[in-house]
Amino acid sequence: MIVTGKHLSRRTLLRGFGTALALPMLDAMAPAMGKGAASAAPLRLAFNYIPNGVNYKEWRPAGNGADFQFSRILKPIEHHRKDMLVLSGLDIHNGNALGDGGGDHARAGASYLTGVHPHKTAGADIHGGTSADQIAAEVAGKQTRLASLELGCEDSRTVGNCDTGYSCAYTNSISWRNPTLPLPPETNPRVIFERLFGTDDLQVDPATKARRTLLRKSILDVVGERTQKLLSDVGPADRRKLDEYMTGVREVERRIQMSEADTHKFTPNLEKPTGVPISFGDYVKLMFDLQVLAFQADLTRVSTFMYGREGSVRTYNEIGVADPHHPITHHRNLPDLLEKIAKINTFHVELFGYYLDKLKATRDGDGTLLDHSMIVYGGALCDGNQHGHENVPTVLVGRAGGRFSTGRHIAYPQGTPITNLYMALLDQMGVHPESIGDSNGKLEHLTDL
Amino acid sequence: MFRILICVLAALPCLAADLFNETVQPFLAKNCYSCHNSTLKTADLDLQSFNTTDSIAQARETWTKVLDKIRTGEMPPKGAPRPDQTQANAVTKWIETEFDREDKAIKPDPGHVTARRLNRAEYNNTVRDLLGVDAHPADDFPQDDSGYGFDNIGDVLSLSPVLMEKYIVSAEKIARAALFGPDIPKPSLERHQPPYRDYVLSREPQFEYDKTGLSMPQAMHWTHRFPVDGEYLFRVVPEGRRPTGSDPIEMAVWIDGKQVQVMSVDAPREGNTLDLFGQAREFRTHVTAGEHWIAGSVLHIYEGLPKSYHGPSPSDRPEPPAPDIARFLRIPPDATPEQAQKLRAQAEERLALQRAPANRSYIHYMEIAGPYNAHRGPSSESLKKVYACGHLDGHHVAGCDRKIVASLARRAFRRDVTQSEIEPYLKLVALTQKQGGSFEDGIATSMEALLVSPDFLFRVEKDRASAKAVEPVNQFELASRLSYFLWSGMPDDELLRLASAGSLRGSEVLSAQVRRMLKDPKANALVENFAGQWLELRRLESAVPDRDKFPGFEDYLRMSMRKESDLFFAGIMREDRSILDMIDAKYTFLNERLAEFYGIPNVKGAEFRKVDLTGTHRGGILTQASVLTVSSYATRTSPVLRGKWVLENLLNAPPPPPPANVPPLEEAKAGSSASLRQVMEAHRANAVCASCHSKMDPLGFGLENFNAIGEWRDQDGKFPIDSSGVLPDGRAFKGPDELKTILRANKDAFAECVTEKMLTYALGRGLERFDRPAIKEVTAKLAKNDYKFSTLVMGIVESMPFQMKRGRGQK
Repeated sequence: MIVTGKHLSRRTLLRGFGTALALPMLDAMAPAMGKGAASAAPLRLAFNYIPNGVNYKEWRPAGNGADFQFSRILKPIEHHRKDMLVLSGLDIHNGNALGDGGGDHARAGASYLTGVHPHKTAGADIHGGTSADQIAAEVAGKQTRLASLELGCEDSRTVGNCDTGYSCAYTNSISWRNPTLPLPPETNPRVIFERLFGTDDLQVDPATKARRTLLRKSILDVVGERTQKLLSDVGPADRRKLDEYMTGVREVERRIQMSEADTHKFTPNLEKPTGVPISFGDYVKLMFDLQVLAFQADLTRVSTFMYGREGSVRTYNEIGVADPHHPITHHRNLPDLLEKIAKINTFHVELFGYYLDKLKATRDGDGTLLDHSMIVYGGALCDGNQHGHENVPTVLVGRAGGRFSTGRHIAYPQGTPITNLYMALLDQMGVHPESIGDSNGKLEHLTDL
Repeated sequence: MFRILICVLAALPCLAADLFNETVQPFLAKNCYSCHNSTLKTADLDLQSFNTTDSIAQARETWTKVLDKIRTGEMPPKGAPRPDQTQANAVTKWIETEFDREDKAIKPDPGHVTARRLNRAEYNNTVRDLLGVDAHPADDFPQDDSGYGFDNIGDVLSLSPVLMEKYIVSAEKIARAALFGPDIPKPSLERHQPPYRDYVLSREPQFEYDKTGLSMPQAMHWTHRFPVDGEYLFRVVPEGRRPTGSDPIEMAVWIDGKQVQVMSVDAPREGNTLDLFGQAREFRTHVTAGEHWIAGSVLHIYEGLPKSYHGPSPSDRPEPPAPDIARFLRIPPDATPEQAQKLRAQAEERLALQRAPANRSYIHYMEIAGPYNAHRGPSSESLKKVYACGHLDGHHVAGCDRKIVASLARRAFRRDVTQSEIEPYLKLVALTQKQGGSFEDGIATSMEALLVSPDFLFRVEKDRASAKAVEPVNQFELASRLSYFLWSGMPDDELLRLASAGSLRGSEVLSAQVRRMLKDPKANALVENFAGQWLELRRLESAVPDRDKFPGFEDYLRMSMRKESDLFFAGIMREDRSILDMIDAKYTFLNERLAEFYGIPNVKGAEFRKVDLTGTHRGGILTQASVLTVSSYATRTSPVLRGKWVLENLLNAPPPPPPANVPPLEEAKAGSSASLRQVMEAHRANAVCASCHSKMDPLGFGLENFNAIGEWRDQDGKFPIDSSGVLPDGRAFKGPDELKTILRANKDAFAECVTEKMLTYALGRGLERFDRPAIKEVTAKLAKNDYKFSTLVMGIVESMPFQMKRGRGQK
């Protein structure tokens, strides 16, 4: 049917403009080093999430205060003792059923950083809370190119029902921009790298790079001149299209100039990843490398990382555990299952140690990145067998610029919401929400001497 | 009446107005004004305001609708007195004559096609044909906007700075791939895991089944993109259990339907089953770059079972003794005989359940890692396409650069180029060399510039100095119009040669070229891009039928559905069949999976073949599962969506969007307290809704025997399907077969519909009133020539809007 005088919808046209506003990093333009890095270093906040709970007997350190002994699972990070705190007794009350029946894994993921009891639904009407990292990013993210990073090692494209009547959004994401907008983690290292550093090959030497820039400018000159000529030969509709083209050319030229003027360049000492590494250990390490780079270049100050989504069924053949993770966490106190859980838990901590080593080895302002960080490691379930949301495994590494009195195991009284910890961490970053989820104060004793 | 006849025959100039006053207006006054008057303006229509012949001619859209409603009997509405049929005919005849008169008065105008940016498919194909680089660089580009149903519309395709940036990055990659070989990615791993598959576990082995396992739920299928030619590692992970005493299972991996590896998996015994969990097998094989259909299946699943299963080719292995019924049977001494018998029956049931299911082994997931040992360096095809001099690295002589750049520019710009025009690109070769680069580096820089040049990225048809209102597009523009229409890619050497020689336009040359192009495999682009968008088949990829309601819907079925429709359209194209086959044909293309789904026997194996449909309810595009799925909701069928699909895509009569404040359909009721049909009929009791729904719904009801994924059904919930309907003009039908007969009788509406869709796609612009004569011409040719596909394509290629363009003289 021919509809005369039919115009393209406004939306169709607007879509074209919309894209112009959200420009990604241009390839050749590596990020400028954060200005803060030279003087007073900013604080970084990171949450590292492990799914399915832990073998708690093998997790809890013996003794309290400064004289505690490392447990088997935490052993791999013992050399960071002076920089860390083990926090026991923190609860995630809203992860419990509270009358909603099954679905502890979904509630665990969704309540971990929000402290909110998620609405039970497998449909589109999901409703949770705003997560602590996003509350921090709201403020801290204003000073960096990316407000926050959400990373993970398990593909989260799954949709629909994931845990007895709960939407997969709950198991997949610990970061929530607002109660209805979960931020699923990005799992492709290449995409993360390109988000941080653009799409170009950054490994070339400066001379080659300068030559490429020069040639690229010459190319743009050639096509720019050609377009000017073409513009005089065409009618108004075609001219509009060619104008779009010229706008693009000028935008690219402008950014080439900007990057040339910026002598303060950051070159990541990491080759661009091509995809997901074959072994899980390499995969996690690569994701940590990327987070260190993002902090180092001050591209963001807030990140979350999920080893796996809640209820993960990953198998750990590389450490001799061929069974999928989730089923074995229902261990029924069988020793061989408990052993397998402990193995996986220890492996995760070992990989976390790689991250800490890197943070510790990276200079940042007057100290190291680790000095200026608050790195939380833990999960939202204690014992997977009982789906316990109390006394969840939690470690806090980093001195928050020297303000935390590290090197201790602190056991909090029963019923202390984990959200109080987040209140304390955000406080250090100069972010002061009234509350986070079910928080009822700021966690005490972190700065005790 | 007598007066009308005389008028028409004599065609006196005064008569149109006379007739209007004497026949038309009284008819309207009698039958229409009571609602559509200046005060009420029912449905926003005031027919009283049209009081002269000219005022009607100027409101073509409104009067097209009026014509349609009177002709189909939709108006006056049910309940109002029926108008005299002879009078009604006289009125419709008058309107048509007026339209014709007006059409003849339209000045010939080929319209203007706004400079068309290459869309993603066109970019990929053009780079492939230009440089022999088939890396699909545009897959990383932002999605193209679409308008008028297609994503190749010049006015709509925008070019954002983000895209400009992608063009620049991609040009460098392509140039380097052509000259130095593609970037070889480091080996990486991709896991593919199908969603949870729900299928019936059976304790009884079967004898007649798909021994390849490909069409069974235990298999998995997907399309995988391999970045480069090279070796890849395939890891296959089975899951499930096999009865103890069975032979090992055999898993097969298939690439593009060919079996490339068989791996046998034995498993440790756990109770009465062998537990496949935690097993994996892997192998390496060479795969060519590009997309491939990958499948993993369990071979002959019902063979090698323990003897006690009495299946085909049983295992020789010892099996554990059958459990003693005594384990489940405890009869208390004081039990009555009835109680004892009941207990015995229960025990027997429990005993039977001890038997492990025969078919509970399936492919859990697969991983592909690689590439390893990838081919490095440029392909010989690329080198041949680039080095016009005929010699390779290190042997170039003076003047080679000019020759190479000139030949590249001519092909990249799809037209002859002047020496002065290529000068800036040549300078880039020299500049690169001055900067320390090699000759090849220089060619690469120049190639990059060609690939971001507006002459490459756009198809601009420049105005020429001619003062004429209408002028032919030049030979090169014609070559590009042809190749982007039929191939979604650049003109090949032959087309360029003919264009250079100025001999492409000759009608014999042109039809020979069109025939040649339709035979070329590149014409598959017409299936993928034209049919894929026209019939909305592209939406099948993102369709997510509800898993609880349609557990049988998985990726293999999805792929098979799409393939059927693609092959069906391609068959009409390649065998030059009648386009009416689209509406109804006694054949289609099926593999075992789809044949089983349709309930058509004797189609074995994964390959598609032509299947006779005589005696079935299938036939034509409307009864293909692909179309039936994309025109349904995730949980249920929608007669409205299907009716709309037919009106839009086959009959060229899209219904208007629903007015605001329409009460929604009470879906929850459907199937439980009332059939969907009853719910919808209640909805239609609302007169506002009825005016459109009386058109859409019957078409959809006729297809109600097909559920939301296109499976045949006789029941909807607990209600029998009623697939009868009455069209607004009173024609009644029962079921899909009779509906198709009615649609097929309406040849002209369908032919006009296809013509308009294809013309829109071929031109890359929305159609206008002045295109009407061209459409009529093509439709007339179709009617004369058995509705052959080639007539449609040739008709479009020869039409004025395709051959001509506006000159500067057009006001």
